[in-house]
Amino acid sequence: MTPLEAARLYGSIAAKTLGQATGAPADPTRDFTRFLREELAQAGETLARGEQVARAGLTGRASVQEVVEAVTAAELALERVTAVRDRVIAAYQEILRMPI
Amino acid sequence: MELEASFAVAASGMRAQSLRLRVVAENLANADSTAESPDADPYRRRLVTFRQALDRELGLARVEVDRIITDSTPFQLRYEPWHPAADKNGLVKYPNVKPLVELVDMREAQRAYEANLQTLATARAMLRETIDLLR
Repeated sequence: MTPLEAARLYGSIAAKTLGQATGAPADPTRDFTRFLREELAQAGETLARGEQVARAGLTGRASVQEVVEAVTAAELALERVTAVRDRVIAAYQEILRMPI
Repeated sequence: MELEASFAVAASGMRAQSLRLRVVAENLANADSTAESPDADPYRRRLVTFRQALDRELGLARVEVDRIITDSTPFQLRYEPWHPAADKNGLVKYPNVKPLVELVDMREAQRAYEANLQTLATARAMLRETIDLLR
Protein backbone atom coordinates (compact mmCIF):
# COMPACT_ATOMS: atom_id res chain seq x y z
CA MET A 1 0.00 0.00 0.00
CA THR A 2 1.47 3.32 -1.00
CA PRO A 3 1.47 6.29 1.38
CA LEU A 4 -0.88 8.09 -0.96
CA GLU A 5 -3.49 5.35 -0.77
CA ALA A 6 -3.14 5.21 3.02
CA ALA A 7 -3.67 8.95 3.28
CA ARG A 8 -6.78 8.71 1.11
CA LEU A 9 -8.17 5.91 3.27
CA TYR A 10 -7.47 7.87 6.44
CA GLY A 11 -9.18 10.85 4.88
CA SER A 12 -12.33 8.91 4.06
CA ILE A 13 -12.48 7.37 7.57
CA ALA A 14 -11.91 10.78 9.15
CA ALA A 15 -14.67 12.27 7.05
CA LYS A 16 -17.08 9.56 8.17
CA THR A 17 -16.25 9.67 11.88
CA LEU A 18 -16.03 13.44 12.03
CA GLY A 19 -19.32 13.66 10.20
CA GLN A 20 -20.87 11.45 12.86
CA ALA A 21 -19.18 13.39 15.65
CA THR A 22 -20.44 16.74 14.42
CA GLY A 23 -23.85 15.25 13.74
CA ALA A 24 -24.45 14.26 17.38
CA PRO A 25 -24.13 17.63 19.20
CA ALA A 26 -26.56 19.17 16.71
CA ASP A 27 -29.25 17.64 18.92
CA PRO A 28 -29.32 20.13 21.80
CA THR A 29 -30.65 17.61 24.33
CA ARG A 30 -27.59 15.40 23.80
CA ASP A 31 -25.06 18.15 24.33
CA PHE A 32 -22.74 17.08 27.15
CA THR A 33 -22.05 20.63 28.35
CA ARG A 34 -25.72 21.33 28.57
CA PHE A 35 -26.31 18.06 30.40
CA LEU A 36 -23.57 18.92 32.90
CA ARG A 37 -24.99 22.37 33.44
CA GLU A 38 -28.47 21.01 34.11
CA GLU A 39 -27.14 18.35 36.48
CA LEU A 40 -25.12 20.97 38.35
CA ALA A 41 -28.10 23.27 38.63
CA GLN A 42 -30.17 20.43 40.03
CA ALA A 43 -27.45 19.46 42.50
CA GLY A 44 -27.24 23.10 43.57
CA GLU A 45 -30.97 23.14 44.19
CA THR A 46 -30.74 19.94 46.25
CA LEU A 47 -27.90 21.43 48.31
CA ALA A 48 -29.82 24.65 48.90
CA ARG A 49 -32.86 22.67 49.99
CA GLY A 50 -30.73 20.60 52.38
CA GLU A 51 -29.37 23.77 53.94
CA GLN A 52 -32.78 25.36 54.17
CA VAL A 53 -34.39 22.29 55.80
CA ALA A 54 -31.44 21.89 58.19
CA ARG A 55 -31.92 25.50 59.29
CA ALA A 56 -35.66 24.93 59.70
CA GLY A 57 -34.88 21.81 61.72
CA LEU A 58 -32.61 23.73 64.10
CA THR A 59 -35.37 26.21 64.82
CA GLY A 60 -37.89 23.40 65.25
CA ARG A 61 -39.91 24.10 62.13
CA ALA A 62 -38.99 20.83 60.38
CA SER A 63 -39.05 17.29 61.75
CA VAL A 64 -35.88 15.27 62.22
CA GLN A 65 -37.00 12.94 59.43
CA GLU A 66 -37.36 15.80 56.98
CA VAL A 67 -33.89 17.07 57.92
CA VAL A 68 -32.36 13.61 57.48
CA GLU A 69 -34.08 13.19 54.12
CA ALA A 70 -33.00 16.57 52.75
CA VAL A 71 -29.46 16.44 54.15
CA THR A 72 -28.87 12.90 52.86
CA ALA A 73 -30.08 13.93 49.41
CA ALA A 74 -27.82 17.00 49.50
CA GLU A 75 -24.83 14.99 50.71
CA LEU A 76 -25.21 12.44 47.92
CA ALA A 77 -25.74 15.16 45.32
CA LEU A 78 -22.51 16.79 46.41
CA GLU A 79 -20.68 13.45 46.29
CA ARG A 80 -22.01 12.78 42.84
CA VAL A 81 -20.98 16.20 41.56
CA THR A 82 -17.47 15.88 42.98
CA ALA A 83 -17.10 12.37 41.57
CA VAL A 84 -18.12 13.56 38.11
CA ARG A 85 -15.85 16.58 38.43
CA ASP A 86 -12.88 14.38 39.39
CA ARG A 87 -13.60 12.18 36.41
CA VAL A 88 -13.80 15.11 34.00
CA ILE A 89 -10.55 16.59 35.34
CA ALA A 90 -8.83 13.21 35.12
CA ALA A 91 -9.93 12.87 31.51
CA TYR A 92 -8.68 16.38 30.75
CA GLN A 93 -5.29 15.65 32.35
CA GLU A 94 -5.10 12.45 30.38
CA ILE A 95 -5.52 14.49 27.19
CA LEU A 96 -2.88 17.00 28.35
CA ARG A 97 -0.37 14.20 28.95
CA MET A 98 -0.94 12.79 25.50
CA PRO A 99 2.35 12.84 23.51
CA ILE A 100 1.95 14.83 20.32
CA MET B 1 -33.78 9.28 40.94
CA GLU B 2 -35.53 6.14 42.23
CA LEU B 3 -33.18 5.89 45.18
CA GLU B 4 -33.78 9.52 46.12
CA ALA B 5 -37.50 8.82 45.85
CA SER B 6 -37.14 6.00 48.36
CA PHE B 7 -35.65 8.52 50.82
CA ALA B 8 -38.85 10.51 50.61
CA VAL B 9 -41.07 7.46 51.03
CA ALA B 10 -39.06 6.10 53.95
CA ALA B 11 -39.07 9.51 55.62
CA SER B 12 -42.86 9.69 55.28
CA GLY B 13 -43.08 6.29 56.99
CA MET B 14 -40.85 7.51 59.79
CA ARG B 15 -42.99 10.60 60.24
CA ALA B 16 -46.18 8.53 60.36
CA GLN B 17 -44.70 6.16 62.94
CA SER B 18 -43.54 9.10 65.06
CA LEU B 19 -47.09 10.38 65.16
CA ARG B 20 -48.28 6.93 66.15
CA LEU B 21 -45.78 6.86 68.99
CA ARG B 22 -47.01 10.28 70.09
CA VAL B 23 -50.54 8.91 70.33
CA VAL B 24 -49.29 5.91 72.33
CA ALA B 25 -47.51 8.34 74.65
CA GLU B 26 -50.73 10.29 75.09
CA ASN B 27 -52.62 7.09 75.91
CA LEU B 28 -50.05 5.92 78.44
CA ALA B 29 -49.73 9.33 80.05
CA ASN B 30 -53.49 9.64 80.39
CA ALA B 31 -54.09 6.06 81.51
CA ASP B 32 -55.35 7.36 84.87
CA SER B 33 -56.95 10.62 83.77
CA THR B 34 -60.47 10.61 85.15
CA ALA B 35 -63.24 13.11 84.56
CA GLU B 36 -63.94 15.98 86.94
CA SER B 37 -67.52 15.00 87.61
CA PRO B 38 -69.53 11.72 87.58
CA ASP B 39 -71.47 12.58 84.39
CA ALA B 40 -68.42 13.57 82.31
CA ASP B 41 -66.30 11.02 80.46
CA PRO B 42 -62.65 10.38 81.29
CA TYR B 43 -59.85 10.27 78.73
CA ARG B 44 -60.74 8.03 75.83
CA ARG B 45 -58.06 5.89 74.21
CA ARG B 46 -56.91 7.20 70.85
CA LEU B 47 -55.73 5.33 67.77
CA VAL B 48 -54.18 6.33 64.47
CA THR B 49 -55.16 5.05 61.06
CA PHE B 50 -52.75 5.21 58.15
CA ARG B 51 -53.43 5.69 54.50
CA GLN B 52 -51.37 5.93 51.37
CA ALA B 53 -50.70 9.41 50.11
CA LEU B 54 -50.16 9.34 46.38
CA ASP B 55 -47.64 11.88 45.18
CA ARG B 56 -48.83 12.37 41.61
CA GLU B 57 -45.95 14.63 40.67
CA LEU B 58 -43.30 12.01 41.45
CA GLY B 59 -45.54 8.95 41.24
CA LEU B 60 -44.78 7.84 44.79
CA ALA B 61 -47.01 6.11 47.30
CA ARG B 62 -46.08 7.74 50.58
CA VAL B 63 -47.80 7.01 53.85
CA GLU B 64 -49.48 9.49 56.13
CA VAL B 65 -51.69 9.39 59.17
CA ASP B 66 -55.26 9.47 57.96
CA ARG B 67 -57.07 10.26 61.19
CA ILE B 68 -56.70 10.00 64.91
CA ILE B 69 -59.79 8.11 66.01
CA THR B 70 -61.06 7.32 69.48
CA ASP B 71 -61.57 3.84 70.84
CA SER B 72 -65.26 3.34 71.67
CA THR B 73 -64.83 0.32 73.96
CA PRO B 74 -66.41 0.82 77.42
CA PHE B 75 -64.55 2.52 80.24
CA GLN B 76 -63.22 0.58 83.20
CA LEU B 77 -65.17 1.08 86.40
CA ARG B 78 -63.41 1.14 89.75
CA TYR B 79 -64.92 1.38 93.20
CA GLU B 80 -63.46 4.59 94.67
CA PRO B 81 -66.21 6.37 96.65
CA TRP B 82 -63.85 9.11 97.86
CA HIS B 83 -63.11 10.23 94.29
CA PRO B 84 -64.77 13.49 93.14
CA ALA B 85 -65.86 11.76 89.92
CA ALA B 86 -67.51 8.83 91.73
CA ASP B 87 -71.21 8.24 91.00
CA LYS B 88 -73.80 7.41 93.66
CA ASN B 89 -72.64 3.76 93.76
CA GLY B 90 -69.04 4.88 94.36
CA LEU B 91 -67.86 3.82 90.89
CA VAL B 92 -65.40 5.93 88.95
CA LYS B 93 -64.97 5.70 85.19
CA TYR B 94 -61.33 5.18 84.25
CA PRO B 95 -59.97 5.47 80.69
CA ASN B 96 -60.21 2.43 78.40
CA VAL B 97 -56.43 2.37 78.10
CA LYS B 98 -54.74 -0.98 78.63
CA PRO B 99 -51.03 -0.41 79.28
CA LEU B 100 -50.10 -3.82 77.89
CA VAL B 101 -51.83 -3.10 74.58
CA GLU B 102 -50.13 0.28 74.45
CA LEU B 103 -46.74 -1.31 75.04
CA VAL B 104 -47.33 -3.71 72.16
CA ASP B 105 -48.42 -0.82 69.95
CA MET B 106 -45.33 1.13 71.00
CA ARG B 107 -43.06 -1.74 70.09
CA GLU B 108 -44.82 -2.07 66.75
CA ALA B 109 -44.29 1.62 66.03
CA GLN B 110 -40.63 1.25 66.97
CA ARG B 111 -40.11 -1.73 64.68
CA ALA B 112 -41.89 -0.03 61.77
CA TYR B 113 -39.78 3.08 62.33
CA GLU B 114 -36.61 0.99 62.33
CA ALA B 115 -37.68 -0.73 59.12
CA ASN B 116 -38.14 2.63 57.42
CA LEU B 117 -34.84 3.85 58.79
CA GLN B 118 -33.16 0.75 57.42
CA THR B 119 -34.72 1.41 54.01
CA LEU B 120 -33.28 4.92 54.06
CA ALA B 121 -29.85 3.66 55.12
CA THR B 122 -29.88 0.97 52.43
CA ALA B 123 -30.92 3.41 49.69
CA ARG B 124 -28.15 5.74 50.79
CA ALA B 125 -25.57 2.94 50.83
CA MET B 126 -26.64 1.78 47.37
CA LEU B 127 -26.39 5.27 45.95
CA ARG B 128 -23.01 5.88 47.57
CA GLU B 129 -21.60 2.59 46.32
CA THR B 130 -22.72 3.49 42.81
CA ILE B 131 -21.11 6.93 43.04
CA ASP B 132 -17.92 5.34 44.37
CA LEU B 133 -17.70 3.43 41.12
CA LEU B 134 -16.80 6.73 39.42
CA ARG B 135 -13.84 7.37 41.67
